[in-house]
Amino acid sequence: MVENSVFADFSKQSPKGILVIYGRLLLKVFKATWILLIIFIQRFSELSEEVFSYIYIGIAIFFVFLLIRAYLIYKNFLFKIEDGQFILKEGILKKKNTSISFDRIQNINFKQNLIQQLINVYEVSIETAGSKDTEIAIKALTYEKAQALKTALSQVDKRTEEVQAALQKPLLKIGFKALLKVSLTENHLQNLLIFVAVVFGLLQQLNEVFTGIGNEDVLGNYTAVNPEDIFNSILIFVILVLILLIIGVLSSFVRVLLFHFNLTLFVKNKSFDITQGLLTKKSIILSTGKVQSITVSTNPIKKKLGISFVTFKQAVSGKVKKQQHKLIRIVGCKIEQIRTIKELLYVDETIDNETRYVPNAYYVLRMYFVVSVMFVVLNGIILFLLKDAIWLWGNLLAIPLAILLIQLKYKKAFYQFNKEVLLVGKGRIETHLTYLPFFKIQNINMKQTIFQKRRNVVNLVLQTASGKITIPCVEENRAITLYNYILYKVESNKESWM
Amino acid sequence: MEFSNIEVLQLPDISKLTFKRIHTDYLKVISLTITIIFSALFIVVFLLETNVEEIGMFPYIKHSYFLLIFLFLSLLTAFGIGFSRRKYVLRDKDVTYKSGVLFKKTTTVPFSRIQHVELDEAPVSRIFSLASIRVFTAGDSSDDLVIKGIKKEEALKIKEFINQQING
Repeated sequence: MVENSVFADFSKQSPKGILVIYGRLLLKVFKATWILLIIFIQRFSELSEEVFSYIYIGIAIFFVFLLIRAYLIYKNFLFKIEDGQFILKEGILKKKNTSISFDRIQNINFKQNLIQQLINVYEVSIETAGSKDTEIAIKALTYEKAQALKTALSQVDKRTEEVQAALQKPLLKIGFKALLKVSLTENHLQNLLIFVAVVFGLLQQLNEVFTGIGNEDVLGNYTAVNPEDIFNSILIFVILVLILLIIGVLSSFVRVLLFHFNLTLFVKNKSFDITQGLLTKKSIILSTGKVQSITVSTNPIKKKLGISFVTFKQAVSGKVKKQQHKLIRIVGCKIEQIRTIKELLYVDETIDNETRYVPNAYYVLRMYFVVSVMFVVLNGIILFLLKDAIWLWGNLLAIPLAILLIQLKYKKAFYQFNKEVLLVGKGRIETHLTYLPFFKIQNINMKQTIFQKRRNVVNLVLQTASGKITIPCVEENRAITLYNYILYKVESNKESWM
Repeated sequence: MEFSNIEVLQLPDISKLTFKRIHTDYLKVISLTITIIFSALFIVVFLLETNVEEIGMFPYIKHSYFLLIFLFLSLLTAFGIGFSRRKYVLRDKDVTYKSGVLFKKTTTVPFSRIQHVELDEAPVSRIFSLASIRVFTAGDSSDDLVIKGIKKEEALKIKEFINQQING
């Protein structure tokens, strides 16, 4: 164990870590007080010289205080490796001792935010499965030390890894051009909505501050614009749609760039090594055993270009909130790359040629029923509130759209399986294919409403450690066969599900 | 379909199992709990009616008695009908529970996926010495399996059995 000797005694982070911690503290303070700051800047003129100097001194003392705090946090952050355990001591006044045994470590990730990229240190986070509160982040390590820690923790034979790394080309490397292609074919509507949600959140916060200061009539004037000319309103509508479209495309582009910049995927020792991100560069080691299911998604345009994105789902620990965090998405995969990924996860290529089972016709009937009820209620509300039948013309657009979406959803829903793996397809405009090895299933549910009972269909819900997968409206006898088969597969399996 | 039908036929069939009903005393627990809740509601409505001077604020307060009675009776009937559907079965390698009239649900958890087992006794259940068994998996806890209303001795036995299967 020569490699481990570096960590046999307690070691600190790189001294540059003080800077990183300081930056985080400042950001935290700024996030909590930025609204106050704006108000303060607005009232600048009302303050006297004397008050100003006090404020400046106060702020300076506060900054120094934060710096001292950052230093103390750094100084009291100690970690070492002992008897197959990672031991961490932290806390200035309230001391905290954490120890994690190696076999509970799920992932060791490298991350670099902007500060960390500038001063060239790496944040190493150690994720564990099981209890909710055991994620550890070491804020600043030099690259060598970070690598050494990773190797020591993952107990991989160092020599073979180095040889492999030297020999191997990345399985997937997405350059700027390819990324552009990916971002242009994203779901712009979804990205637009995310963008609008973010802007709305900010505006809401600002609005709360400025009401009373007297700026609210800006918005008031804006909505008061009432073009009488029909031509004008159509023009405005078209321009609005165009602007929204451009914002949508731009926000997709920014999002893709932020998350997936310089995406590289290596395959090493039965694990994926994924690095991506612009401002926050993330490097993730994902061992194949810990992946619960993968989803291959594409949309019509992406399909034409022959690219799709792959979502890896890992076991979620405790809190559902973290789920987003444990989804690992890589974009711009070609068919051959997907084949390699599937092979590594023991997904046999033949699965795609198995018999395809589609949901019972009840599935589409129910959707039509629910949507019809929704339409009736919505029309009723519109009539009641607006008292103007002209709005009902909107149905001309909405009804065909609803029918199209329902038909698409029905057409894309299916399941098929071979001896080891289940494939569930779903989607409307996008197509999502989820591959789930049977032995990853945690428990299994059969649900049937009284309406489904009349048609002898059930919903099958398969729980995995990374969320559930539902197969809707399966004929009852077929569902029971599958139910029995899955139980047989799970119970006769000797492999660990993670 | 790749795997042969013969293989499928030989698999243990979940639909042909003899399920065990939960203890009939649990119906008393349910009725008692509902009665307690509704008594409390009745008292609240009664206090409102007698103490609030301005009847104008609650013009329909007399109607709420009927509403409460209606709700009380329909809940009792619903639970009464649903009660006979609550069944469970333990096999060598898994535990299954099913329930529901309008919304039927069958859940099976293989022992090899259970993280831990809990046995708890709610206050009302304790009067009848009944207990609940709750098993946890790594999946979403909303769909984990709970069997309510088993005699405590039996529940302990089941817990012991499951624990043995997990560790064995």
